[in-house]
Amino acid sequence: MRFLMTSTSEQAADETLYIEMGEFIEELTKSGVLLATGGMELEGSLIRSSGGEITVIDGPFTEAKEAAGGFALIETRSKEEALEVSRRFFKILGDGEGRIQQIFG
Amino acid sequence: MTLRRSAAPGLHGSRGSALIVPMVARNAHDAIDAVWKFESARIIAGLTRMVRDVGLAEELAQDALVAALEQWPGQGVPDNPGAWLMTTAKRRAIDHIRRGERLERKHEEIAHALEQQSLEEGVDDDVLRLMFISCHPVLQAEARAALTLRLLGGLTALEIARAFLVSEQAVAQRIAGAKRTLADERVPFELPPGPELAGRLASVLEVIYLIFNEGYSATSGDDLMRPSLCLEALRLGRLLAELAPRQAEVHGLVALMEIQASRSAARTGPSGEPVQLHEQNRGRWDQLLIRRGFAAMLRAREAGGPPGPYVLQAAIAVSHAQAKTAQETDWGQIAALYGALVRLVPSPVVQLNRAVALGMARGPQAGLDIVDTLTSDPALKNYHLLSGVRGDFLARLGRHDEARTEFERAASLTHNAPERAFLLKRAATGTTRVAGVTLGQAAERFLAREDLDAETIRSYGQTLRRMCLDLGAGTPLAEVTAGKMSTVFAVVWNGAAAKTWNRHRAAVRSFSAWASVDDLSAGLARKPESRERRPSIGPPQLDALWERRDTAPREKTLWRLLHESSAAARTALSLNVEDLDLENRRGRVTTKNGPVWLSWRSGAARLLPQLVEGRTRGPLFLADRRPAPARMPRPADLCPDTGRGRLSYERAEYLFKQATRSLDPSGAGYTLHQLGRSALDRRRDSPVPR
Repeated sequence: MRFLMTSTSEQAADETLYIEMGEFIEELTKSGVLLATGGMELEGSLIRSSGGEITVIDGPFTEAKEAAGGFALIETRSKEEALEVSRRFFKILGDGEGRIQQIFG
Repeated sequence: MTLRRSAAPGLHGSRGSALIVPMVARNAHDAIDAVWKFESARIIAGLTRMVRDVGLAEELAQDALVAALEQWPGQGVPDNPGAWLMTTAKRRAIDHIRRGERLERKHEEIAHALEQQSLEEGVDDDVLRLMFISCHPVLQAEARAALTLRLLGGLTALEIARAFLVSEQAVAQRIAGAKRTLADERVPFELPPGPELAGRLASVLEVIYLIFNEGYSATSGDDLMRPSLCLEALRLGRLLAELAPRQAEVHGLVALMEIQASRSAARTGPSGEPVQLHEQNRGRWDQLLIRRGFAAMLRAREAGGPPGPYVLQAAIAVSHAQAKTAQETDWGQIAALYGALVRLVPSPVVQLNRAVALGMARGPQAGLDIVDTLTSDPALKNYHLLSGVRGDFLARLGRHDEARTEFERAASLTHNAPERAFLLKRAATGTTRVAGVTLGQAAERFLAREDLDAETIRSYGQTLRRMCLDLGAGTPLAEVTAGKMSTVFAVVWNGAAAKTWNRHRAAVRSFSAWASVDDLSAGLARKPESRERRPSIGPPQLDALWERRDTAPREKTLWRLLHESSAAARTALSLNVEDLDLENRRGRVTTKNGPVWLSWRSGAARLLPQLVEGRTRGPLFLADRRPAPARMPRPADLCPDTGRGRLSYERAEYLFKQATRSLDPSGAGYTLHQLGRSALDRRRDSPVPR
């Protein structure tokens, strides 16, 4: 099963976070779970197609409480394993929130 | 911590119906299982270093898991669940050592020393050692795969059983047997020393690729569970690549698996039928996995050294992956890579693949030239793809009559129904054949004669069916020549005993006379049937054989039993578990002449319990694999637990010959008959003890 995890955190990354996150990513890569990962722009653009017309709205969309964002594409045996990965992830990241969605195909 | 689950997530992050569930309470057991699967390999590896017994280490780790299942749902998951499990397991290990039967000071010292040790230290090397142990050559292939999934993947016996389509009990027994063998053989928990490393690593790679292929080539069974085996193999491979980063072959295997896995979605059609590589929709190939495969390939190159079999196979997969369409495939490069592979792995199947690539690169004649060198290889005599490929080259050369014969032959050899239909369709496209009696029709009428007894018809039938298979049942009888017949004999029966050869030859003579055609056996000389017995196996050779440590338990037991009982191999192979009298070292077999007892001595008696291992009935000596549906043996020859068939005499004979080739001064390898006689002869030759 593949899952896409996206997250935003409320703290800007400091050096400790970089080191800990680096180790975590290394461990996940080593165990064969992590397929791809990277940082993510917070605002982005919203694209909507309605009645054949496409509109693009640039962010931000929320009060900018978040300071950093990222994504990870992981491959696990079960959703529970994916949740365990995200638990460990937030353990390092601190306060923030994320979304985890199974990817098909 | 809590986890928000939005039932209908909006892009703006509106959570109208957010469902908030505390993480642990979702399903505590599943959550703990997830933690366990991440941590178990490291915990078991660390414990094995402490207690030096992988079976005990696993039990102690399981104790820790049970403690977690008891405590976490009530007290909550600890902050660092992995460390909690590790600490708990380590405490159990120290308790275990302290409890040791002999309460000597020494135990106390060990326990104290262990308390100072960190399980985390050098754990990567421990995991690598664990991998080498669970893939140790002393274990049978299936046991290695099961034990690896258990120890390194943290899978339960039930999960492994579902993936391999066998019973949970069978897996549990396989794992228990493997642990016992490792303990009995005192396999050390060490990285193999330099000269051994390559061979032992090859064994690990073989197990991982076997797990992958079990998932990847599954054409039947539960579709949902099989991809999970590919995932397990990929994870094991990726892990190994980090633990042994300087081994090019490890990266080669990972690259090969990543790229093969990238085609998963494209390799079956809408109704589940297989889609050949050149017909796959390349848009459905998983580009992420392809890129990962390329990256692994780069690491293999960086590791350096001459390319091994996995690196070469990966390079072939990379070449296919680089072609945007099937037409853009660089067949020249692929043919060259197969050429290099065939030098390392001189297997006729690899050679056939090389022929296909050459046929694409330089035209059908180039391919046919190689295929024609393979038609005389006995190893391929029942391999339908050989005929299929040859038929394809012939058709492309416009030699349709010959192509038809090959396609028909391929169709009669394949066990796969859609494939057979496809081959028959290809056979039907081409020119029509001239009228006249075909070989098949003539053979059928010959065998329908009423003046022959049943035994003769059975014997002639074997010969004629093989003739029809190899020459094509649809071939006009007039086109069958003595020369073609000689080729059939050379490929199929050259290695057979003189008696067998002469029996088939007699059948051909009889058939030629009956059909009033030229003697088709004209090119076949009668072989002298020597009555001279081959000498039995000498004591030094026997001692060398018993001292081998790489012999699989089944073979070891069978050989010992034959040697000690002096029984005929076929009789020993027909032993059933329910007819063993282990206590009195004997077993009952029903033969043509009624029931007989086989008796053995201490060697076989010591080995048998392990081989029986929880089984209560069915054949004692089992084949390695379950039988193909088309070749289902009698129920009495099937193991009720594993579904595997009885080990055949032919296979047992082959394995013994292979194993004793290096011992036999003639280089041919000994027969089981010689083994059975070796004790008799020695008893006869030695002075009678008084």
